Amino acid sequence: MTAALEIEKLTKRYGDTCVLDGVDLHVEEGSIYGFLGPNGAGKTTTLRIITGLARPTSGTVRVLGHDLASVEGDVRAEIGFLPDVPGFYEWMTAEEFLRFAGGLFGLKSRTLDERVKVLLDLAGLDGVRTRVGGFSRGMKQRLGVAQALINAPKLLMLDEPTSALDPMGRKDVLDMLASLRGRTTVFFSTHILADVERICDTVAILDHGHVVAQAPIDELKSRYGASKVLIEVTEGADELAEAVRREPWASSVVRDTNGTVSVTVSDSEAAARAIPAMVAQRGLCLRRMEAGEMGLEEVFVQLVGGERT
Amino acid sequence: MRAFLQFAWKEVLEIVRTWRIWVLPGMLLFFALTGPLMAKFTPEILKAVGGDQVAALLKVMPKPTYLDAYGQWIKNLSQIGLFAIIIIYGGLISSERKSGTAILVLTKPLSRTSYVFAKAAVHFVFVAVAVGITTVVTWDMTRLVFGKSPGGPLWSAVVAWLGLVIFFMGVMTLLSSILGSQAGAAGIGLAVFAALSLAGMSEPLRRFTPAGLVQAPALLAAGKASAILSPVITSCGLAVLLVMAAAEVFRTKEL
Repeated sequence: MTAALEIEKLTKRYGDTCVLDGVDLHVEEGSIYGFLGPNGAGKTTTLRIITGLARPTSGTVRVLGHDLASVEGDVRAEIGFLPDVPGFYEWMTAEEFLRFAGGLFGLKSRTLDERVKVLLDLAGLDGVRTRVGGFSRGMKQRLGVAQALINAPKLLMLDEPTSALDPMGRKDVLDMLASLRGRTTVFFSTHILADVERICDTVAILDHGHVVAQAPIDELKSRYGASKVLIEVTEGADELAEAVRREPWASSVVRDTNGTVSVTVSDSEAAARAIPAMVAQRGLCLRRMEAGEMGLEEVFVQLVGGERT
Repeated sequence: MRAFLQFAWKEVLEIVRTWRIWVLPGMLLFFALTGPLMAKFTPEILKAVGGDQVAALLKVMPKPTYLDAYGQWIKNLSQIGLFAIIIIYGGLISSERKSGTAILVLTKPLSRTSYVFAKAAVHFVFVAVAVGITTVVTWDMTRLVFGKSPGGPLWSAVVAWLGLVIFFMGVMTLLSSILGSQAGAAGIGLAVFAALSLAGMSEPLRRFTPAGLVQAPALLAAGKASAILSPVITSCGLAVLLVMAAAEVFRTKEL
């Protein structure tokens, strides 16, 4: 498959501060790609560079096969972008803004009429005559998504598209993004892990300007799921949990209420050898010991060292 | 070109549908209506409040004419009008960067050069149209108050003043591209005006640069001769260069 977006060794420095340090990303055409990271990881900076709003210190960005440094203008005709806090002309109505945005792409009036109607409906703003200045943040966000789709982009980039939305608004936007699967490549940054888990095919996790993981979600979860062990004993679970916690291969130990102990391990083989011995040494009865499945949230927490967005 | 025209049309609509349509034209309209009246009745007002001494002084002074109305108009344009333009357009480029609207627009197929040129062009035309219409108003008002109002002195003075304005539109476009602060850009713009006024004391600078347009409008409005062709041509050329420089500065800015 060809790549809609390819980033190689992307670095961005502001004085002595390195915001992006050798970022590599590969976004397949037609995929829905989640770009995760704690605050300050460099997600917005990456998006600003891809859209030509900022310049990289070094590295290359290829958007839809074009090198961004040489064909910035041409590429913009094929991308849609929603910034984290979209700024609108507050004196316009939603329809006027969509028509203005479509006009910048040179859309013919018939096409523009059709798209404006569909997108206003999609954004739940059909019939809203209020000026954008009177919109709630959620309405602005939905209008932002709509304007990013006005040119039927091949690559849609969204910076935190659901952060300002209520649960229903979030669902609408996510359903809308999911419906684009296979037709448009969607690349979006978010701190809401459930959103990524719900609609993304692939995810990249950015931490302190480095990509710490990049893989299809299922692969990522199974890769890190192997590092989790669930132990169930008939009694003495607290004592066992305390003992496991002191072991060097145990990254974290959680004592669940139903008699199980959930252990995140750094060395699976060492854990597999040691845990049955520890149970036997204490004369406990082992009912179950198995590799557990990590949720994306746990993978994320493990990879970024416990920092949360 | 299509994106340029679309954005320029947006600028026009923004002028018509926001405070911009009221502030500068409103101020100019007020001066246009009151200037001839002030010129005509200022001696009477002074006589009424100043007593016999002022009345004696006024007897030896010539009676006000339409030239005084023109002078009043040009004085208002050259001081309050120009200062208002400098202050308002201190944020010509930076205001959309601050509000975030520039990001949505410039991630679409509109070049930063088109963005800067569209703004500078539309707003200069807006100022020229506003001044043109209000000059017609003050011209008619002068005829009503003084009985006659030959167009030559008034319009040549206004053309000279517009020559100065086009230069300052270029200056403010560049300053608002460089600086994020409207107040900062306006402050420097006023300093440029002060420097230009001082430069006008030099004969070569007065003859060939916009410095010659600081005093020329007042002289023309008073019915005196003043060569403005060279300064106006230089002013227009410099304005284009300044807007090009603004576009280059803006092109390299990170948003």
